[in-house]
Amino acid sequence: MNHLTVLAASFLDADGYGSDRTGRRPWPAPVAEALQRGELEALRWSTLFSSETSRFGRMDFLSRLGLMAVELLDARFEAMEPAQRDAVGVCVETRSGCTVTDRRFLQMPLASTFAYTLPSTVVGEICIRHRFRGPVMCLLPVPGQDGSLETALGWLNRGEAGACVCVACDLLEKKIAASLLLSDDVPPGGWQGCAVLIGRRTEASHDHLWRLDSLPRLARSLCALGPAIPSIDQIGTPGEGTRPTRGPIYGGVGRVPSPGGG
Amino acid sequence: MDPAVTAPRVAIAASGAVNALGLGLERLEQAVRANATGLRDCPRLSGKGYQSTVGGFVPDEVWRQLRERDPAHGDAPAFLLADAALREALLGLQSSGSEAAPGFPGAPTGSCERSHLDATPASRRGLVLSTTKAEITALERAFHQQPCSVTAQRHLFPALLAADLAAAHNLAGPVHCVSLACISGLLAIQQGALLIQEDKADLVFVVGVDLLSDFVLSGFTTLKSLEPGGCHPFDVDRKGLSLGEGAGAVALVRRETLASPALVVKGWGSSNDANHLTGPSRDGSGLALAMNRALQKAGITPDAVDFVHTHGTGTPYNDAMEGMALRLVFDARVPPFCSSKGLFGHTLGAAGLLETLVCLAAARQQMLPGTPGLRTPDPSVPDSLLQTPRRAESLRHMLKLNAGFGGTNAALVLEWEGA
Repeated sequence: MNHLTVLAASFLDADGYGSDRTGRRPWPAPVAEALQRGELEALRWSTLFSSETSRFGRMDFLSRLGLMAVELLDARFEAMEPAQRDAVGVCVETRSGCTVTDRRFLQMPLASTFAYTLPSTVVGEICIRHRFRGPVMCLLPVPGQDGSLETALGWLNRGEAGACVCVACDLLEKKIAASLLLSDDVPPGGWQGCAVLIGRRTEASHDHLWRLDSLPRLARSLCALGPAIPSIDQIGTPGEGTRPTRGPIYGGVGRVPSPGGG
Repeated sequence: MDPAVTAPRVAIAASGAVNALGLGLERLEQAVRANATGLRDCPRLSGKGYQSTVGGFVPDEVWRQLRERDPAHGDAPAFLLADAALREALLGLQSSGSEAAPGFPGAPTGSCERSHLDATPASRRGLVLSTTKAEITALERAFHQQPCSVTAQRHLFPALLAADLAAAHNLAGPVHCVSLACISGLLAIQQGALLIQEDKADLVFVVGVDLLSDFVLSGFTTLKSLEPGGCHPFDVDRKGLSLGEGAGAVALVRRETLASPALVVKGWGSSNDANHLTGPSRDGSGLALAMNRALQKAGITPDAVDFVHTHGTGTPYNDAMEGMALRLVFDARVPPFCSSKGLFGHTLGAAGLLETLVCLAAARQQMLPGTPGLRTPDPSVPDSLLQTPRRAESLRHMLKLNAGFGGTNAALVLEWEGA
């Protein structure tokens, strides 16, 4: 068990998208139909955001998923001072890696594609967009082993970062995922982008005790709770001397409460 | 209190290597002493339109040897290389770990006879794998509808390669897989050290591996970043890099369990340039940030650094950037520095491991390695650049650097605790 202060969470998959602030939302009808068919080309920046990004169109799908998940956090990174950005760490985990882009490069070897034949390219894209210069990591999680949350928590505890963006993005071909038993929770449509922003505890924040099991499950659970919670920062945990606004949310510690419940 | 102050110190207990220089650490150490190069032309790749077919290819006789030893993995070359380096580290651990100091985990009171391997239960032995493309040749074969074993296809997913390596050697503790471009190796060493410092394992093998495949050669050809005749790091006429393949492995343990001189992993730092996806920052500030973080973590100041082992790819931009980063951190007093890319090429996910082993070889022999391939030093880089090896007056603190795609930078501070 670890103390973890979650400041924001987000997710997107074939069924919808959302954040802890907005709750789950369905895709607009024409986009939803395309995404259900696995056509990720339908996933456009302008569908969700009014901000500009000139790089999005040239990215591979893995990077697009990661970048959109971070944007959905709505964390107002643009207001940060340069010194604060230097202290933001970025840790990405991906089970699928960039195998889809690898195949695309084999079919058509282009420099613009080769840049995305690393599972970690999404780390660079996130850092470029938000000008983060803190510690970086990209993990390809071995089933049953620690993931990005533990790494980020270590950065915070050792004073190596002031805040951390943890991202899980996957683009799995269902057949491969099933044959290799990569995961027991393959996301809808075989793809997902999830993000959480974690920070140091402050006097104003409660203790948070989570079982660090799975970043996607944590992000989805927090997003499912949605706007019924004024702030994720007020989620407490029994036994920590804080009256929780909700029960512990996953990982065998407790059940996932329905929105508004607790 | 700073957790780093109380965290146990972690050191390299044994190591292994396979690369263009051959199989085994001894080959690497000989080449470092001789300032030799393992780069060669690979005729089977000519005529494919690559910008260069000169690289750090593992010799054919080594491949034959590895396949004869493990025919079940005959078409899984990444596994074979990683396994070879890991086996050498295991062997080294059995023979050199018998000087375990009192307090060694699992050792009977007063005993100094058991090796680290014998004394560590399987559940306390971990593995951290570093790779960028793992078994990428399996994808090439599948794409061209050539035969490819299920094992090789599994290893397209680096996490499964890590899991299979761990299972093959009964490493039942934590198993991680790091893949962050060319800084993967240094981050993997950091992860391994943390597993010990956080008491999640007592013995951690960190293995880095990558193959020199058509896929990778084709990619760097599209970027036009290869040097046709072989790389010349920090040379005034440098034009690009030379790729390489291989594997390196280190066995990490708590320092106090080693009675002999040892290389201690003293500090680390990483950063992102937040600037460009495939090119380094022009001012070196991102790498300087990583270096300063590593020095701070190690608790030393720049003037304590005796030697810097750079990334030194031989591309015009990378080497210029590193020269600037060195000046940002060390000002006018840049310590002697070198590049080993001319030794065995740029081995990507294995680079951090193999180049750390160059630092280990330098420390053992108390020498400063040279820069194979360097002809005329670029006058714009600091003049402490090492062209040829020379005797070190005192080699204690070393700084190992790597940088990579995505604007990533990493630095590792190593300390040689001599006899």
